[in-house]
Amino acid sequence: MNQSNALHTGTRGSRIIGILALIGLAWTLIFALVISPPDEVQGDAARFLYLHVPAAMMAYLAFAVTAISSVLYLWKKTRSLTWDRVAGVSGEIGLLMTALMLATGMIWGKLTWGVYWRWDARLTSTALLFIMFIGYVALRGLESSPAVRARRCAIVGIVAFLDVPLVHFSVTWWRTLHQPPTFQVGKATISGSMLFTLFVSMISFTLVYIWLMMHRNRLAMMEQAVEDHGLKVAIAERHAEVSA
Amino acid sequence: MILASLVKTHLVLIIGGYGLVFGSFAAYAWRVVSRGRSFARQLPDEDKPWT
Repeated sequence: MNQSNALHTGTRGSRIIGILALIGLAWTLIFALVISPPDEVQGDAARFLYLHVPAAMMAYLAFAVTAISSVLYLWKKTRSLTWDRVAGVSGEIGLLMTALMLATGMIWGKLTWGVYWRWDARLTSTALLFIMFIGYVALRGLESSPAVRARRCAIVGIVAFLDVPLVHFSVTWWRTLHQPPTFQVGKATISGSMLFTLFVSMISFTLVYIWLMMHRNRLAMMEQAVEDHGLKVAIAERHAEVSA
Repeated sequence: MILASLVKTHLVLIIGGYGLVFGSFAAYAWRVVSRGRSFARQLPDEDKPWT
């Protein structure tokens, strides 16, 4: 262990992932804005595909991690505050990804539909998902004992995740303005350099998610430790007052 | 040629969208790393199992 390592949340592994994520994002920019051709129908507006779809996939992934970690916390055999912490960290990153999915989708909608927002099934269910995870993150910030907070958040995290399949399948279950999924089992609706660019973008966003998870999880560990130290000091002061 | 077509079409919205996403990643990463450094200074090494 060296001193420089002790003063931040980075490790050799996280640095490698961080560098790969930066390279991937640079490649995404070059491919998405320069190499990939405009779409035959949507023209340059289709370049939002390389932001919007990976952001959506990462939001699904993040909320799935939140839901699985929440189940593992609620299950007595695996109950540990580590699962609660992982669920919370992933939920926060998922919220960021959902915000970016909504923002890029709205701009894309303005370019292709002529409006930023329509109350159709996909957009409405995504807005609901966003609001539920705002509630989830807010709930994590409320003052209560760690066990009570973890149980409440686990239940809310699982319930909020139930909206993810609804968001994903909304374009096939209902008639919506939103286009069908870009990827379906066994087939993709794009090909060539557009498909490759989307592939590069998906990998880059996945690396960003992993890097953020590593650093945010370590930050959450330290936040908890600082809280515990503060509690210990407060208890010691109280004992000193009583004995005096 | 592709860049020229970008200029003709919706350059501001497209570049703005990319700036928003990449800027958000950078801002969130910066916040996490800087808060991590701040907390790491306050805690002993035993509270930082990754070190």
